[in-house]
Amino acid sequence: MKLLVVEDDETTGAYIARGLREEGQTVDLVSDGRAALIQATAGSYDVLIVDRMLPEIDGMTLVKTLRGAGNQTPVLFLTSLGSVDDRISGLNAGGDDYLVKPFAFGELSARVAALARRPQALEQETVLRAGDLEMNLISRKVTRGGVEIDLLPREFSLLEHLLRRKGRVQTRTMLLEAIWDISFDPMTNVVETHVSRLRAKVDKPFETEMIKTIRGAGYRIDA
Amino acid sequence: MSERLTSLIRSMPLRLALGLVVLFAAVSLISLAASYVITQRSFEQAIRENLTQDMAGFRAAPSARALAALVEAEARETDPERMILSYLAPTRRHYGNAMIARDDEGYHVVSVAQDSPRLQGRYLALTATLHGGQLTIARSWSEIEALRRVFANILVLSLLPTVLIALWGGLYLARSSARQVRVIGRTLDRLTSGDLEARVGPTRGWSADLAQIGGKIDEMAEAQESSVETLRQVSSDIAHDLKTPIQRVAVHLEDLAGRGDLGPDSRALVERASGELEGIVSVFHALLQIAQIESGSPRARFRPVDLAELCRTFFEIFEPAATESGHRLSLDVPAEGDWQVTGDRTLLGQMLANLIENALRHTPPGTAIEIGLARAGGRICLAVADDGPGVPEAERALVLRRLYRLDRSRTTPGSGLGLNMVQVIATLHDAELALSDNGPGLRVAITF
Repeated sequence: MKLLVVEDDETTGAYIARGLREEGQTVDLVSDGRAALIQATAGSYDVLIVDRMLPEIDGMTLVKTLRGAGNQTPVLFLTSLGSVDDRISGLNAGGDDYLVKPFAFGELSARVAALARRPQALEQETVLRAGDLEMNLISRKVTRGGVEIDLLPREFSLLEHLLRRKGRVQTRTMLLEAIWDISFDPMTNVVETHVSRLRAKVDKPFETEMIKTIRGAGYRIDA
Repeated sequence: MSERLTSLIRSMPLRLALGLVVLFAAVSLISLAASYVITQRSFEQAIRENLTQDMAGFRAAPSARALAALVEAEARETDPERMILSYLAPTRRHYGNAMIARDDEGYHVVSVAQDSPRLQGRYLALTATLHGGQLTIARSWSEIEALRRVFANILVLSLLPTVLIALWGGLYLARSSARQVRVIGRTLDRLTSGDLEARVGPTRGWSADLAQIGGKIDEMAEAQESSVETLRQVSSDIAHDLKTPIQRVAVHLEDLAGRGDLGPDSRALVERASGELEGIVSVFHALLQIAQIESGSPRARFRPVDLAELCRTFFEIFEPAATESGHRLSLDVPAEGDWQVTGDRTLLGQMLANLIENALRHTPPGTAIEIGLARAGGRICLAVADDGPGVPEAERALVLRRLYRLDRSRTTPGSGLGLNMVQVIATLHDAELALSDNGPGLRVAITF
């Protein structure tokens, strides 16, 4: 993946760039809005990571300008504020996702990956598969190796969410947003609890583990 | 009567107009009445003088016979409706055009010439004894009565149009000022609900006083908008200036944690530092958010929120944590019914989360915590109640204060902002927050 990081704080910018490079991504780093505008228009990037407060041209204006010029590259906003107002104005300006500082690198990495390959074609699928696990969205039947698994509604939507994003890490805050529709972290172990309940049904009775825990990041079902 | 009409009738301009109409009518009536009385008196005076003159003319007659002839001659040419001449000669003979007759009903003036000759009008009479007979001359009041009709006409012609015009003008003014008052009211409603871009915008057609009020409201809104904007700007500057170093510290700590040569003591220190940093961030976020909620701006995106669904979601979210800490969390939400309120789902969720978290944090294991939704007097009441140690009555108001913590809570984690945030969010939603004794324990109720 080719990524552009727009961050005026050197330490943070270097930290993001280093982390992403370690993951094997190609990263360009610029520190002001004007340079970012030129860079983003010239190169073709998979995702832009943009701080909202930048010298020269601020992040919101930068993204609005890009969108106005027809550039549809997914944008992940980094922000110091974390209010709903702030989130909504960022998304209205053309941002695709939103991350509040300070953030853990795992969160950033997972969200960048989610933006780079958004599940568009997958939306139409009615049967999701991974290995010997099969999930029928119409009959709401889940089987693994031919054995039927009985899931509660929350467990069902959790499994569906992970399966639709096969191969990509889902962090707990991403799961809170998607499954429970809450955009703040209540600091409880609800995600862990539901994942372990799901595991008890989907993984325990079988030989291989489907739902992987990625330390310091989240959960993933491998393709 | 429609409410609008009632408020129109009670409006200031119409009241003023009605008051003026009444005052004007009263003054006109008094002055007309006074001029009527004066004119009537002078007419009466004139009639009396005429009668005296007439009498003087008859007195000049030398004898009873001559007087009788004179009366007869005059009477022939005089309409008894206008003037009555009557002479009762010493011979008991009557001369003149009318006489006083008596029947069962009393005394009447009776015309001599006509057949059924009772005369109805009022007369002013003068009687004198002349040459042994009695002469009576009387002039009709009809002229004075005609005067009354003239005055009545003047009254109708002058007063009626004035009253009508004043009423119409008053109504017109009342309606246009009612319209202006409505515009002002709507603007204030929008400003109250957080839409700080709302303006009255008085135009040239507005009445001067309302235009002045409207202009002042606009100035106030302008000032409020700019101060909220300043607050937002300051918050975002502070946030940026503080978050950047916080982020750097987090980066350094993560780097440190990633190093393989760290001893167990150092590792524990790094973990503690990370925990402290998280605490700083959460207090910081809460303060920023409280400031923003207090500005009222989230009202602009209020939507219907199903509180029953919200309670179920947050019950689910906190249930594992409650089980882990040994609390018994339960949900008392009716399966049926309309539990919608207008609000911000995220903030209401945060409010509920804070209440549950508060109960979990400040009660010992084994405490029962119930999330309840009920209707009280047509209003929806959301409550989180526990049977833990509770909060002393004297301190219940204090715990809502920003950063206030009970003495025994000093050692438990928490920012001291949780309940304050609950209060701020409740206020934003025009809901009432009440802390009460759950006998034993604490019950926090929010009534929408």
